[in-house]
Amino acid sequence: MICPFCSLLCDADDLDQVCCRRRESSLVDVTKMRSWRASPNRDSESLPNAKNALRSATRILVTGRILSVQTARAAVAFSAKYNATIDCAERGHAFKNILAIQRSGLNSVSLSEARDHSDVLVVVGDDQLLAQVPRMPSALANENGDKRTVLLIGDFSEASMSIWREAGFDVWFVPCELNAVPTALAQWARWSDSNRDSLSIAGPLFEKLAQAPYTTVLWSAENLQIESADLWVERMLQWIATRNESTRCAALAWSSLDGTFLQVCTWLTGFPGRIVFQAGTPKYDPCRFSYREWLAQKNTTKKVKSVLVVIDESTSATPFLEACDLPADMHVIEVTANSKTFPTTMAGVEVAADMFRADQTLLARVEPSVEPRSDTKSAAHWLEALSEW
Amino acid sequence: MVTRLSGAICIDGVSKTEVRDLYLDGEMIRTELATHTRMDSEYKLGNHIVVAGGIDLHTHIGGGKVNIARLLLPDLVSHRNASSDRMVAEQPWLKPLSSPVPGTWETGRRYLEMGYTACFEPALLPANARHAHAEMADTPWLDTGGYLLLGNDRLLLEWIRDGVPQEQINAYVGWMVHAHQCCAVKVVNAGGIDAFKFNQRHLSVDDSHVHLGITPRQILNALSQAVDSLQLAHPLHVHCSNLGLAGNISATMATIDAVEGRRLHLTHAQFHCYGTDGPHGYSSAARELADRVNADQNLSIDVGQVQFGQTVTLSGDTMHQFANRKLARPRKAIFQDLECQAGCGVLPFRYRQDQYVHGLLWSIGLELFLRVEDPQRVFLTTDHPNGAPFTSYPHLIRLLMDYDYRMSIFSRLHPDVQKSSPLPSLTREYSLEEIVKMTRLGPAKALGLNNRGSLCDGKLADIVVYESGGNPEQMFSQPKMVFRRGQLVYRDGIFLADSIKSTVVSSIEIEPQMNAMLEKIWRTRYGYSTEMICVRTDELQSERRVVEAN
Repeated sequence: MICPFCSLLCDADDLDQVCCRRRESSLVDVTKMRSWRASPNRDSESLPNAKNALRSATRILVTGRILSVQTARAAVAFSAKYNATIDCAERGHAFKNILAIQRSGLNSVSLSEARDHSDVLVVVGDDQLLAQVPRMPSALANENGDKRTVLLIGDFSEASMSIWREAGFDVWFVPCELNAVPTALAQWARWSDSNRDSLSIAGPLFEKLAQAPYTTVLWSAENLQIESADLWVERMLQWIATRNESTRCAALAWSSLDGTFLQVCTWLTGFPGRIVFQAGTPKYDPCRFSYREWLAQKNTTKKVKSVLVVIDESTSATPFLEACDLPADMHVIEVTANSKTFPTTMAGVEVAADMFRADQTLLARVEPSVEPRSDTKSAAHWLEALSEW
Repeated sequence: MVTRLSGAICIDGVSKTEVRDLYLDGEMIRTELATHTRMDSEYKLGNHIVVAGGIDLHTHIGGGKVNIARLLLPDLVSHRNASSDRMVAEQPWLKPLSSPVPGTWETGRRYLEMGYTACFEPALLPANARHAHAEMADTPWLDTGGYLLLGNDRLLLEWIRDGVPQEQINAYVGWMVHAHQCCAVKVVNAGGIDAFKFNQRHLSVDDSHVHLGITPRQILNALSQAVDSLQLAHPLHVHCSNLGLAGNISATMATIDAVEGRRLHLTHAQFHCYGTDGPHGYSSAARELADRVNADQNLSIDVGQVQFGQTVTLSGDTMHQFANRKLARPRKAIFQDLECQAGCGVLPFRYRQDQYVHGLLWSIGLELFLRVEDPQRVFLTTDHPNGAPFTSYPHLIRLLMDYDYRMSIFSRLHPDVQKSSPLPSLTREYSLEEIVKMTRLGPAKALGLNNRGSLCDGKLADIVVYESGGNPEQMFSQPKMVFRRGQLVYRDGIFLADSIKSTVVSSIEIEPQMNAMLEKIWRTRYGYSTEMICVRTDELQSERRVVEAN
């Protein structure tokens, strides 16, 4: 069975015992899933009311956490029908990588290639990385018996390091502010040319890096809680590109389960989200058409009727819109697990779902592990119902 | 539902070209019906040409690399403006794609607008298989299929190094094609993608992989044996070594030799037939390749014609895409090493009419078309989007059918191309029958699609009606009508209905012991079960029909 509780999509038999993320995730206990925002219009929505609100709306945003190919297709079709803005990159994490890639390209490696072939792993971030993807070290540990090196750069605790050790890695740790990592890596490379002996602490590490035939540099977009993270990613990608002039080096830029929406939206429209449909044609602007920008625009006249459509087929309990301050007159249509009107099944838990692993290489069919609750329908079902004229 | 198409000129390259009636009986073509059969509809088609739906056997329309190209290049998407609207109003057939790699809906729509009804993704990475099928399912109006990318999968390369029996390789190839719901096998730069992961920057047919010590010749031989042993309809589909390099004709010839007379399809052959003569050490070797194809019935090619303008090159051949990284326009590129199976390189590129090499590529492609005698063994492709977007097919057809037009473009090329190219001496002009063979009958035969490609009784009623006369570019850009499975889905620029879609797969009986063996290997190497990547037939059937190539 493939597990949908983190972006790794593990299929180990012993996940219930060994995966903290899976243990902590209550399968269908939606009572734990809090309503993210009390809105005056939300609870009174019925299907006809919601459709009326959509038809009379002058601006519509479709957002949320879309985890399956099936729902992503429906959400894009829904947005095209209503000429809506759509941005389903959870908290914008994926766009930290996307913006950098769109500016300067990418050298990347998939998970199993890194597992099988990479000599040195450079893991950048902090302990949150393993909270988000607990089984990452074991997924990257190959079974050849080779002792491979992992270089942890950032703010990692002894507990994190021991997890990597237990997975069979030779662990090195360099404490470093996340912001400073691209500079540090670039400087190591420069210092090496002039004076390797001066690198008293980092010297042996650099030697490891310099001699590695294939280095994988891993970070998680969700883990990059820094200003201008896209610029940070871009500098990392440039460092990796430079190394490829003489040896092999690649990024394993981990996103999260929202990568599924980005992939589907890209093949349907040509863009990874953050688009607005105008007469059915998508226009892309990663700055203007983000959910944050849309929500930040205040209605200046009563003629503007805004509708927010929130889709959430996730298994976790804290919707990312919680902090948003919505105007009282905004219609909110929730197509979520705990919606009263449009209660939605959870992808890969209650219904079969096609989901991308977060390196965007594998698309897995995740079969349900429990029966769906009696009152729920798939998000795609609700979106199609809301689209019917 | 029975439809009569009366009085049209029927061309299919099998029967005699003549004016006759054709019947669409349900999903099938009938040349005759019982006397009192009631017609549900009739179209009088005097002065029209009727042909079977077009089949593109090599076009990149699905899977990881296509989506990565879209992700990389939002800046190449052009929106409508007054200028583009004016151009479309004046010459509707010149309507450009919104991007070199448009979304699925636009891809399906534009193919149907040219009269194509089936397209094949030629490089389906095993790990990407479900993705590619899902994406092609979202490409409307087209039947689709995929060629499985093998020959850089480390497991196979290690087996070849270890000298496992050929029977084991055959069983593995069969298992992989079956598990990923494909209809053919493709190899890209045999062993070269994997060698690049070990920092090897060049690998010709008899060079050794720096890590595994095997040669591309061994890989090609093993895979061609497997394809024949499995009786796959389509021969091994090969992207040769040394893509784009001056003098690569020797590697192409060595590739043909490597399969020891077995069936072989060389893809985007234009990129693989260069000599080292001429003013810039870069010349045409099209004659050498065409002579070889003409002499060997087991050989076929598709051309991968270049057209001038902006496009994006995307290929599994990471080694050579990386070597070309400094030619990227705009200056950005993506390279990926993927799942111990292959890789991909995405590189935006602009072919310029005034540039010597680019002009040479254009003329070499046309040379190949004109020198290969049998239009059923040379196929019309641009290797979309690598040589040009597929929407340039009507223009390409005109170049093949009209010598004067061809020369009018040739005269604008770099002077050194004009001096060195033999193109002016090739006065052949393709007939309509030959174009139809090249785009319908030939690809259907090459893929084992016995139920399509012609207008014979019992074939699928995927039919295109063109208005005859005028220049062929305009004609092939604007069908009058398109029928899919007997249903009128397009008429005079208006899309009337959605239609049934099918996935073409090869029917292969897999050897049960492979399941257990590969499950163990997958767990060790990839860290997950084979179930993670196997695409079940019912997954495809939930969206469309599955048909078999045989």
